[in-house]
This record gives sequence, structure tokens and C-alpha cells, in this order.
Amino acid sequence: NALIGTPADCQPCPCPDRSSCAQIVETGQVVCTNCPTGQTGMRCQMCEDGYYGDPLGQSGAVQPCERCDCNGNVDFNALGICDHITGRCLKCLGYTEGDHCQYCQQGFYGNALNQTAGQKCKPCSCNPAGTSGHVNDCHPQTGNCQCLRHVTGRDCSHCEAGFFNLQPGVGCERCKCNPIGSAS
Amino acid sequence: TRPTVHPLPPGTHLLFSQNGKIDHIPLEGYDMKKDDAKTVLHLPEKVVIGVAYDCVEKMVYWTEITSPSISKASIQGGDPIHVIRSDLESPEGIAIDHLGRTMFWTDSVEDHIEVASLDGSQRRVIIDSDLVNPRAIITDPPNGNLYWADWNREAPKIETAHMDGSNRRVLVKDDLSLPNGLTYDFQSSLLCWVDAGTHKMECMHPGRGDRRQIVAGILYPFGVTSFGKNLYYTDWRRDAVVAVDRHSGKETEEFQPQKRTKLYGIATAYAHCPSGQNYCAVN
Repeated sequence: NALIGTPADCQPCPCPDRSSCAQIVETGQVVCTNCPTGQTGMRCQMCEDGYYGDPLGQSGAVQPCERCDCNGNVDFNALGICDHITGRCLKCLGYTEGDHCQYCQQGFYGNALNQTAGQKCKPCSCNPAGTSGHVNDCHPQTGNCQCLRHVTGRDCSHCEAGFFNLQPGVGCERCKCNPIGSAS
Repeated sequence: TRPTVHPLPPGTHLLFSQNGKIDHIPLEGYDMKKDDAKTVLHLPEKVVIGVAYDCVEKMVYWTEITSPSISKASIQGGDPIHVIRSDLESPEGIAIDHLGRTMFWTDSVEDHIEVASLDGSQRRVIIDSDLVNPRAIITDPPNGNLYWADWNREAPKIETAHMDGSNRRVLVKDDLSLPNGLTYDFQSSLLCWVDAGTHKMECMHPGRGDRRQIVAGILYPFGVTSFGKNLYYTDWRRDAVVAVDRHSGKETEEFQPQKRTKLYGIATAYAHCPSGQNYCAVN
């Protein structure tokens, strides 16, 4: 406050890089008004929406504000996509999950880090007739479902060679071909 | 210590949010008095998104996503008052029915629209289906209508309903991409929107469906508000408030705050309430 008339009237702003500040008249509170890119808060101690970190090291080591890292599995038009301190992703898309949207959700398989749309996380969709498990239960990477006896295919939808007649809850039967009359 | 509002002088103002604050720009006619633009309210630990204005009590209302809440403060000076603090995930757009004394908001995680009295009581969900990314919401109090936009990338749309959620209809669904902002002008009965995917500003009379383009090639609009012949929108690429003349379709002015960071919601703080009656008051 320059209106008091003592040498200490004007004090340097308590803000990074000598950036500007303002004093709220009613409360005397000093607020930084021009924080470095990505930083905000009374003393520029926080990261802006879309960024995360701890730029002044208030809860540990100094961690400059960085853009939320969600492996391309969030929408840039959305708000609040990651926790502004830990960076934990809060709005994963495309059936992904995890702190950085790096995994496929339960019931989906594939590579959450694949950047090609449609190649990321696909539903397990196990064939209800051929699976011994749940239709949403498959290997997270390969997508292989748990097949009944002599049933094969990623989604357990057909019989192994030499087997036929896929029966729900049972599996496939061995072919009963007469060895004399068969070509194979 | 708490933040306090710097009282606004009389007249019409634009109110908009930026990280940690709500700023105002006085209007002189339709021109922005840029030299007089100031911060109304510092909220340094908050990410303020939606902004709305109640012309009766001269209060600004806002949504905040850091510790999800809805608050209000008098623009004539005073401390912020929490209105809603519980059961919010990601409140984004907010709108006031100054006649019915209610507020409406969208929540993009809950994927619903809620209404409550201006003190936060009588809270109720009015729309809770077929919403993916609801954001902008706006009222037409004299006619008892509500409008909102959903920027769902698979099927973006602009919808309307009565203020109790009944009579819900899709108004626009073709040639939309990311309709982030909506505004309704009481005098002209025009509903206008800004789209960050088609990069257009468009308007229509909701009853007539006479959609027309105002401007194309805008960069990344987020919020929009109307006042008379002008529309004012916030832009994420330009970090600015941009004024557009609705009749000529020309950009007339730009205001860029000193701090270069995203601008979110924008609202017009009218000097006086637009005249009109609520259908509830008549019936």
C-alpha cells in the first residue's frame, strides 16, 4: 500500500519470477495475478486445470506443472481431466482405466496405449455357449476367453478340429467319422 | 481471510471466469470498456467454470470443480456464500431463472441437470437420461423454457424442455460438433451457440427452427453471452473475450486479460432485469 507513507509501503510480490500481484483491499490478502504458465493459486502454488504437479513443493519435492498424462484416453474438450496434484486421470474414455488411463476396463481387452481408434479396448464378448467363465471375463491383453472342453477361438465360438456340436455348458463332441469312409 | 467482491459500478457488465477469479468488463453501449476491466472476485484456489447472474438481487453465481460446489456473491460487494457443496461431481454450466427464483446446472460426471432454489434448498434432478457431456445451460424465464447443449462427440445436440423437465425435445443435432456455449436473448428471442468443433457461431428462433450462421472460422469458443445486437464469447486459443455483431457477423472487439490462461463461462450482468412475466406467475 503506497498510501501509508513509510519506506516499507511497497514490498516485492511474493510470486515466482517476480510476477505481479494484487492486494485485496478489504482483507489485505496478497494474490499473485500473473503466475507462470500452468500455475495458479494465491502464491502460484497450484497447477491449472489440465495440469498437475506441486510447483512450490508444498507437499514434498518440487514438481513443475505438467499437462495431464492420460495416454490420449481423455477428451481435451473436457474439464477436470486429472487431479491437479497427483495427476491421476479422472475422466478416462474408450473403456480405459487406471491412474493414466493405461489399462482396459474389466470386460475389455487390448492395448489401452494404442493410439489408433478402434484398436484400443474391445469388449471380451465371449460366446455364452462356448465359455466356461463369464461372457465379460477374458485375458486383458489377448482377449482369450475361458473355453469349454474342445472349444476354441478367442471368444470360444467354435469347436476344435475333429470336434462338433457345441453345446452350452458342455463343449464339443468328438467327430464320429468311420475311419474307412473318411478322407481325413 | 476470505476473498471479497470489489463492488461494480452501475451499468451493464460482462462477467467471465478465468482460473482462480471472476473478472468483469463494463459495457458502454455495446463496446467493452477494456481499460476499466477488473477482477471482481479472487478465488485463487478454485477452478471456476460456469458463471450466471441474478438481475434481481444483483448476485453472481458460479460453479467450481476443484472442490465441486456452487457459490454466489453480491456484485455490490461482500463475501462469497456457498449454495451447494454436496453431491456434485463436475458442475459446469449454470443458469438462473430470475422470475421463478431458481437455478439450474449441468454435471458432466453425474450426467444430469438439476434445479434448486437460489438458496440451495428444494434441490431436484430434472433430466437424468440421454446425457453424455452436458455443459452449457440457459433459461428463458418469461416463457418458462430451458435450453442446454451436450457436446457428446458421438451425437452432439442442443435440447429444450420446460423448467420442470417436461416436454423435452431435441432442437439441433445436425452439423454440430462441440457446442460448448449457449445464450438466449430475451429481446430478439434468439438462441445462439458457439461450437469449438465446427468453429461456428450460429443462431435460431427455437420456435421457428430458422437456423443461421453468424460467424465461421472462430478458434476455440467455450462460453457465450448476448447483449442487444452483440454476442460475446470466451476463446481457449486466444485467451480472450471476443465481441461479434450479430447483424453484420463481424468481430468488433477483443479483450485479452493480462494473465494468459483459459477463459471459461461468461454472463451478462444487466443493469436492470429484462421485463417479462413467468407463466407460473400468470397461472
